[in-house]
Amino acid sequence: MNWPFDTVLVANRGEIAVRILRTVQALGLKGAVVYHAADAKSPAVALADQALPITGDTPVAAYLDGAQIIAAAREAGAGAIHPGYGFLSENADFARAVEAAGIAFVGPKPDQIELMGDKVRARAFVEQAGFPVAPSAIEDDDPASFVERARQVPFPILIKPAAGGGGKGMRVVRDPAMLEGEIERARSEGQRYFGDGRLYVERYIENPRHIEVQVMGDTHGNVVHVFERECSVQRRFQKIIEETPSPALDEPLRRKICDTAAGIARSIGYRNAGTVEFIFGQGGEFYFLETNTRLQVEHPVTEQITGIDLVEVQLKVAAGEALPFEQDDIQSRGHAIEFRIYAEDAAAGFTPTTGPVLMLRAPQGEGLRLDAGIREGQAVTAAFDPMLAKLVVTGADRAEARARADSALRDMVLLGCQTNIGFLRRVLNHPAFAAGEVHTGFLDANPELAAEPELSPATRERLLAVAAAMTKPLRDIADTVPDLHSAMGDWRN
Amino acid sequence: MQHAFKIRDVEHAVGLSRSPDGYRLHLGERCLEFRLQPGEQGDLVLQCGGTVDHLRVAVDGDDVWIHLDGETHCLRFEHALQRLAELNEAAGADVIKAAMPGSLVSLGVAAGDSVHKGQTLLVMESMKMETTIVAPRDGVVAEVRLAPGQTFDKDAVLLSLEPVAGE
Repeated sequence: MNWPFDTVLVANRGEIAVRILRTVQALGLKGAVVYHAADAKSPAVALADQALPITGDTPVAAYLDGAQIIAAAREAGAGAIHPGYGFLSENADFARAVEAAGIAFVGPKPDQIELMGDKVRARAFVEQAGFPVAPSAIEDDDPASFVERARQVPFPILIKPAAGGGGKGMRVVRDPAMLEGEIERARSEGQRYFGDGRLYVERYIENPRHIEVQVMGDTHGNVVHVFERECSVQRRFQKIIEETPSPALDEPLRRKICDTAAGIARSIGYRNAGTVEFIFGQGGEFYFLETNTRLQVEHPVTEQITGIDLVEVQLKVAAGEALPFEQDDIQSRGHAIEFRIYAEDAAAGFTPTTGPVLMLRAPQGEGLRLDAGIREGQAVTAAFDPMLAKLVVTGADRAEARARADSALRDMVLLGCQTNIGFLRRVLNHPAFAAGEVHTGFLDANPELAAEPELSPATRERLLAVAAAMTKPLRDIADTVPDLHSAMGDWRN
Repeated sequence: MQHAFKIRDVEHAVGLSRSPDGYRLHLGERCLEFRLQPGEQGDLVLQCGGTVDHLRVAVDGDDVWIHLDGETHCLRFEHALQRLAELNEAAGADVIKAAMPGSLVSLGVAAGDSVHKGQTLLVMESMKMETTIVAPRDGVVAEVRLAPGQTFDKDAVLLSLEPVAGE
């Protein structure tokens, strides 16, 4: 095809910068990347056709400096900017500034980012368009009738501070008789934490699953879904294992949730890649949660089962092309699971770890894809998000994907910095995960998974033997008398 | 001389000697023969007690990283001086002894001083490494036997605390 641009600037770092550059280059385009000095040795910088340094008070601040990034794009002669995920990817002002500079923003229209970024507005929009949102009552709508309206929401309900976040000040109410007292307590907590006592309530979904749907739209009015992803295994509200298809859905339910997502995207005239997230109850009911207006971390599982390169489609849409497929052309085959490899200590409450990457060996085998943003010799620092790589495992079915994942996690070697690889393998082999019966509270309900398993005496001895032989002071002492020992050994034998 | 490694904050004292075709690991009374050789794919092959393991190893200063049986472990080599400091701390001992020959770099206290647990008592040097010795418990310094610059032998008493009253 004839591209309206020949260079794409990636305004990101780590594994996603590498992943985007690969597709850019495979399409015959040139890939440029911005980088902070802390990333000078990163694989993305090595891979890019052009790497442009950016600066900031902190490394993260550099990647958030839109003006500097647009200047870098001009310098590189880039006609498009791909923001990746995180950083500026959902910043409507940045998207606007990029387009004002005559550069294509590889993402949705700025007003779509804005609408979906405002959770209350997004929820109202989705509800108005006729799609399911969790039953709720918002105090601000009419403070005088709030308690009465809250009582109409099916119990159990969740009281949330309007200004809240991170689970603070939230209260579950199961008994309508307790409602007024709990509202008062939630109000005083909201006042204390956020200086704002306004509340809203919504139906509380017990042990919900997180199921999301990939959508894709173009500038010609076409919108499709690219199936769902289940992301229920989370720690500290962050996904760590994602898979597709969701083990929770049968075919009719799968079609229903995917069509709902596509309908929501269509009602906004959505452009480019996005993800519609749902909260999914154990009875099969699901409600709109939010829309992420960017490429997701977990997009590779979708690519693995559909054979679609989502970044390629993103670039084509940004170039003004129509989607290269219609809904019925998109078929899903097999099962894919993604594991996020983090530099963290699971046993110590998932606290981030740092260290040099002394050795990195990707597992080998069928159905394996490793999207890594690190390489040997690089240091893992506290400056950035601790996600190091994503291991994506594909099989003909879920059982095959799980079996391949078990070998792959066993064979993956990353030395020099503690990671969660062993923890991921324990989760993979937990009976509930094996049965596909997980919910967003699964890890909290099974804290033993985070603990390091006991070392067997035989393993401990083997470790000590290797460590002793690899430690110079010990080896030096042992080696000063080798002949005597050898002689004694020979003599005794 | 005994050395030690820490695995997940637990100390394990070990000794190493040569055997006719490899090494012996000494763990207290236990003695384990093993061979460690380069494998074909950049790995190491450990033969020990009839089993053969392929492992990956990387050394970073005092840290030995080992990937064995699908699990990654980090073993930290504990220097003898550091061990002494920690042992004294743990034991709440009355006397501070030298783990190996060395010299006194500086003194932070004098006889008769009241000290609190964790307070620096002295800095010593051995094998070109400086180690800070801190008070193992609250107490009063009974005696300081050395002046800065003086050398000492292994097991020399460097400093003592007044015994705890009532014991």
